[in-house]
Amino acid sequence: MSKYIRKNTGILSAALVLLSLSSCDKGYKSLNLNPDAVTSPTPEYMFSLAQYEGAGYNGHYGSSGSNFLMGTMQYTTSYNDVAGFGSKYITSQINASSAAFSAAYPDELNELHIVIKAVTGNASRINELAEARIWRVYCFSKITDLYGDIPYSQADQGYDSSNYKPVYDAQKDIYANMLSELDAAASSLDPSKTVSYGTSDLIYGGNPTQWKKFAYSLMLRLGMRMTKVDAASAQTWVTKAIAGGVITADADIAKMSYITGGQDINKNPLLLDMWNADYIAQNGKTNTEGGKYADSWINYLQATQDPRLPVISVVWVNGVPDTTSSIQKGMPQNLANQLPANFVTYSEPNPKTVLLLNAPRMLFTVAESNFLLAEAALRGWYSGATPASLYTTGVQAAMRQWSIIAGTAGAISTNQVNAYLANNPYNAGGTFDQQMGQIYTQFWVSNFPESQEVYNNYRRTGYPALVPNNYPTNATGGQIFRRGIYPISEQNVNTVNYKAAVARQGADDLMTRIWWDTK
Amino acid sequence: MTKFQLTVWSSLLICCLLTFSVGKAQPGSGQPHLKGLVKGPDGSPLAGVTVAVTSNKRIATTTDGSGAFDLTLPSSMSGARVELEISFVGFETKHLTAQAGESDLAVAMDNTRGLNEVVVTALGINRSKKSLGYSVTEVKGSEFTTARENNVANALSGKVAGVNAAGLSTGPGGSSRVTIRGNGSLNGDNQPLYVVNGMPIDNSVPGGAPTVNGSTTNVDRGDGIAGINPDDIESISVLKGGTAAALYGSRAANGVILITTKKGRAQKGVGVEYNSTATFDNVAVTPQFQYQYGQGLDGVESTDLISAQASGRKSWGAPIDGNTNYVAVDGQHHPYTAKKDNIKNFYQTGQTYTNSIAFAGGNEKTTYRFSAADLSSKGILPKTTYDRKTLNVALNSKLSDKISIEALAQYNLETGHNRTGAGDALGNPNWTPLEIANTADVRWLKPGYDANGNEQIWNDAAIASNGYFVINKFQENDVKNRFIGQASISYELIKDLIFKATISRDQYNYDYYNILPTGTLYTPLGLYSGIKTNLFENNSLITGSYKTTLAKDFNLSALAGFNDRRNQENRLTLTGANFNTPYFYSISNLQSLSTVPYRPRIATTSVFGSIDLDWKNILFLTASGRQDWFSTLSPQHDHIFYPSVGGSFILSDAVSLPQVFSYVKLRTSWAQVGGGAPDPYQINLTYSSVPSSGPTLQGVTTDPGSVDNVISNPNLKPYTSTTYEAGAEIQLLKNRLGLDLTYYNRQTTNDIVKAGISGTSGYTGVLLNIGELRNRGVEVLLTGKPIQSKNFGWNVSYNLGYNSNKVVQLYPGLPSIQIASTVNSWAFLDHIVGQPFGTIVGTLMKRDPKSGQIVYNRSSHVPVATTADQKLGNSVAPYTMGLTNEFRYKRFSLNILLDGKFGNKIFSLFEVYATRMGKLKSTVPGRANGLELKGVDQSGAPYDTVITQAGGVLRNYYDNNKSYSELFLHDGSFIKLRQVIFSYSLPVSGIKTVKIQSANISFVARNLFILYKKTPDFDPEQSFTNSNAQGFESIGLPRTRSYGLNLAIKF
Repeated sequence: MSKYIRKNTGILSAALVLLSLSSCDKGYKSLNLNPDAVTSPTPEYMFSLAQYEGAGYNGHYGSSGSNFLMGTMQYTTSYNDVAGFGSKYITSQINASSAAFSAAYPDELNELHIVIKAVTGNASRINELAEARIWRVYCFSKITDLYGDIPYSQADQGYDSSNYKPVYDAQKDIYANMLSELDAAASSLDPSKTVSYGTSDLIYGGNPTQWKKFAYSLMLRLGMRMTKVDAASAQTWVTKAIAGGVITADADIAKMSYITGGQDINKNPLLLDMWNADYIAQNGKTNTEGGKYADSWINYLQATQDPRLPVISVVWVNGVPDTTSSIQKGMPQNLANQLPANFVTYSEPNPKTVLLLNAPRMLFTVAESNFLLAEAALRGWYSGATPASLYTTGVQAAMRQWSIIAGTAGAISTNQVNAYLANNPYNAGGTFDQQMGQIYTQFWVSNFPESQEVYNNYRRTGYPALVPNNYPTNATGGQIFRRGIYPISEQNVNTVNYKAAVARQGADDLMTRIWWDTK
Repeated sequence: MTKFQLTVWSSLLICCLLTFSVGKAQPGSGQPHLKGLVKGPDGSPLAGVTVAVTSNKRIATTTDGSGAFDLTLPSSMSGARVELEISFVGFETKHLTAQAGESDLAVAMDNTRGLNEVVVTALGINRSKKSLGYSVTEVKGSEFTTARENNVANALSGKVAGVNAAGLSTGPGGSSRVTIRGNGSLNGDNQPLYVVNGMPIDNSVPGGAPTVNGSTTNVDRGDGIAGINPDDIESISVLKGGTAAALYGSRAANGVILITTKKGRAQKGVGVEYNSTATFDNVAVTPQFQYQYGQGLDGVESTDLISAQASGRKSWGAPIDGNTNYVAVDGQHHPYTAKKDNIKNFYQTGQTYTNSIAFAGGNEKTTYRFSAADLSSKGILPKTTYDRKTLNVALNSKLSDKISIEALAQYNLETGHNRTGAGDALGNPNWTPLEIANTADVRWLKPGYDANGNEQIWNDAAIASNGYFVINKFQENDVKNRFIGQASISYELIKDLIFKATISRDQYNYDYYNILPTGTLYTPLGLYSGIKTNLFENNSLITGSYKTTLAKDFNLSALAGFNDRRNQENRLTLTGANFNTPYFYSISNLQSLSTVPYRPRIATTSVFGSIDLDWKNILFLTASGRQDWFSTLSPQHDHIFYPSVGGSFILSDAVSLPQVFSYVKLRTSWAQVGGGAPDPYQINLTYSSVPSSGPTLQGVTTDPGSVDNVISNPNLKPYTSTTYEAGAEIQLLKNRLGLDLTYYNRQTTNDIVKAGISGTSGYTGVLLNIGELRNRGVEVLLTGKPIQSKNFGWNVSYNLGYNSNKVVQLYPGLPSIQIASTVNSWAFLDHIVGQPFGTIVGTLMKRDPKSGQIVYNRSSHVPVATTADQKLGNSVAPYTMGLTNEFRYKRFSLNILLDGKFGNKIFSLFEVYATRMGKLKSTVPGRANGLELKGVDQSGAPYDTVITQAGGVLRNYYDNNKSYSELFLHDGSFIKLRQVIFSYSLPVSGIKTVKIQSANISFVARNLFILYKKTPDFDPEQSFTNSNAQGFESIGLPRTRSYGLNLAIKF
């Protein structure tokens, strides 16, 4: 026996090792914890990220291709096809229009989902909950306004509910929900509660009163969006918003704050994108992606003797930026993938005002409130002031805005504002359509460089009356497109719901009109 | 310089050592001796051959470097007739009867295939090939040292049936991609486990493999196997299936490549080996462009600097007629003539010098081997260099009858400069010579920068960097310090019961940075990226083995073991932008810098055992089992058990077969191996800081190296790969003809699939154990010795592998997942249910279902593209083959290897751009008189129109061809003259002054000619990444042919 044991010591000892292993704790659990990550989120930190991303970092407007609405609203163009998609609508680049959709859900919308889950049910965090809900409406509204029907009610539940294929909700339902969210969140805000995001809130520093104004302002914006498709609801919500109190003082403007140095995420994403994509060399010649101001934009500002033209536009003359209004010139939008010989002579953004990387990003301005109120007054839904005086207040606010953005370099004197108003008086005697045209053409001028809300109002009202670019190999039959296309990946990974949305809304095509954009 | 120094140094050393080895002591005493000489089949002396007395194998010796042996017999054997057994790994064992005292015995050894051949198998165990139930192929080290590849894994190409090996087109110091019997996992690493002397080494590429669509910093930083010096390799065994590799557990699911390094051996004096190789590289394939229309736009040539800059990469100009109005981007007038040598003029002749020296020796108790090697390489791209210094020492000692120890250490210093990026245009120097206008001489762009050091404009798109600016101003540097150490002790407790403990560590320290300089047109203020990492892989192994005879003719051997593996990395990825002080490249000078840590930690604990039974040396049975515990799995189910069984039957020994059969063996086996345990930290959702200069930011932790938000899964487990194989080995006509056939079926179930899910779920992917993949195939090895005579010999060997791969399941309801996409998404690589692994998908021109005519969009004048999910072809070649012919005539030998791969497709990114730029011949139609577009419109009505160059319409039409992936797809099949070695063995026996055992001088060539290909403008092996994303040509460094000389001397 002992001989046998000796003979088999190897096998026995291996068996012993095996037995001891299966029972002992190998320390694997702690070994598999990422030393550079935490297992529970901090809502404030994540809310800050959701603000950065919701305001355009990370692909929303984070690459030249997705900055396309500036081109579509004919502020900018490029001789280059890839970067020029927005102003050329060429077939081969239509996927650029789906970037915002792809970026929003895994980024800010998912982060807001996590933040809301973390602060829900805690009475002391009621303001944080409300502010996250308001910000979520803002983020969702940008996506639905660009694409129409989108995943909404089931969005961002991949982790919590293993829902990997959210259904697309009809835009009509999304609007109803967004408006009621705004209503509920606004009324739940409680200035007496001190718990807030504080400095983690890059818009209002955690001030609930201002968030309330922002909520009602968004309600005004989204309510007005429905004028063509459901005028009654539009009036209801617009009226409610006005009663709740919208942004009318510069101090209450909803704007994201940024800093110049350091990480890119802390810089104004739209301007950083313009800077990196085109204007970083600051010589007017080697604009990386071939970008310049478009002809229609500069022509309009020149024709109306707009004092903003020298504030926002320069031409590089012998290596020096020159703001002289008379030499400003926009680039034609139909250049066929060909660097023009006189490229340097075209106007581009003024580095001292438009391209400041620490400039705030304007999310909702006093000017916008006034133009929307002017329309409400024109429709008879608001009687606090006349359309003419609201229009004038709007123009004044918009001119002031440049000093908020750029300080003295953006200052426009009262005399200049008055002269402009005198040259371009409000046509109170015009038809409804003429007055709408004046309000929303002015909104186009006033909201630069923010293009998405201009595009939304363009689709709803037809103003500004831009002449579409009929570029070779364009995808729209020479028309300005009506929506962005869904990401191709949705056809593969969310087929059934994608198809249902297309069946309901119409072809996944640039020219399909979304719910509120009826003819 | 280093090379020269090393040569001088080694020569000196050799001279010193020779003095030692000359004056040997003569054996004395009155005991009888047996002396003789052992030669190989080619007539060259064989060193290290064991010569033993058959009746008492303890009386034994080995041959020295000149093949001579001197066996001292006990005095009792004086005058007796003694039977000797002469054996050596890889050769047929010989028996010889001699009279004690004979002194001129001559033994000629024959190579064997399958007879008593001993091969290295799992855990470094030598086993008789006869006994194996699976197919294993061994390749001798000498096959890697004459015609060299910097990366030894590349040299496997064409040598082993079922092995698909290829180097990447990334220059010296690049990685290789090796797959055995197809790709077994959808997302996992499909490359084999590399094992050196029984212990695994790390084969990772620091910072990860490059992608198909990156730019600038998207470089191949070299894999782990690239650090092994071919001169140190004794042999490489390829364990193909799960069966062969079952003892290695989860990492062996894709097969194992076992490297056995050279050891010292008992001999008199010091053996010295010196090997020197110089090889030269040139671009293998020059594209065939159109030379009818030159630089310009819309039929107009460039006649001033502005228009030259607008059209620097566009050959849409006037007919090339030699006129002198032409102005190029240098602002000068040149004759408007075709410039056909831009590739030749842009790249240089690459040079690689390898020098290695090894000293080996020892006595019966202790043997040693020390080697030093230096590889110094200049790429075909100016300023690209790679240098590798290797020091290797091996020590074996038998401390007593029971205890022996072994120690191995290797130190590597690898430095790379200006490794070339590929993919997108930014910082990719290869873009320039390929896409420059065809009337421009690429050298006119020199030096690529102006007086201030800023990039000079050569075209209308800043992203398409000036290649000379990239060569001269971009900076890429990497240094890898690597140490591989191994020590073991074995103890024979009682006879045939041996315990062995081994520990090994493979560790490297890697420092990489890449600078986009100030003045780059696309990023004028510059960018910085760096990777600083420290990685180690530790393995501790304890085994106990026992051999016994259970009954007459019935033997058993058993093995049990325990292994602990730790793999840990501390990585910092640095990303910075904008150098404050221009042209000053320090991370202290960056406007923004973010540092992101990644510290994966993996531990695996395993126990395993195996039992081998043999009956009369005719029937062999093996069974093994292994259980692995993984740190990366959730504690509830963190372990998996894998069994295997196999058997072989020597038919020719069991029954009497017709005389034509020399040897017939049948074998079969079945095994399960778990593979691809998840990466660390994937079972929990976590939150990480996002680099910020303002408020603290926190987001969901994303996959390192990508921006994917992946839903974690606490229920993850490794996949299971189940292989069965059956085969036969047949030797005919006294071993003159051999056939080895294998059929295998490998089924992967529960594969971890990173299923792409709708991003609207908040996440872009989810890890699920649901994938199923099948590989089945046939391997054939035919060997023949048509001529065997004293002066002339001819050996031929042909191997063929066919692997059929099928994606059986991804995720219920999910038809495909995407694993890669090209720059700008012009083609994709997907796994599609029912198709093979890695299908290239993309768009086609839409055709009218009735007439087959192209459907045009009436308003845009371009063909309508289909959706981007059309299957275009398989990215992995199902057929691989190799044909080796070896000729020997007296002192000359010639070795020719042809290899081929068939049945795959490749998508060319370079051709997409060359079409857009008007360089391909396919862009000529329509330039003179307009292009007729004839087909139907979207309503099905006839469509017929002519487009012309006016207003850029024709140019835009061709530019838009990028929308149809099918136009840039090619058959990737090829046959290459992979290797030629023409050697002459110098007559050294006459040299009296120095005792040289052998000296060989060889002309060597690799990848000399492509005998067959379907890609007119590039080498079909133009892959850039060793990840799963194959099937794309991504404007990488062109592949080369190399040729040179090799000198090998043994003292």
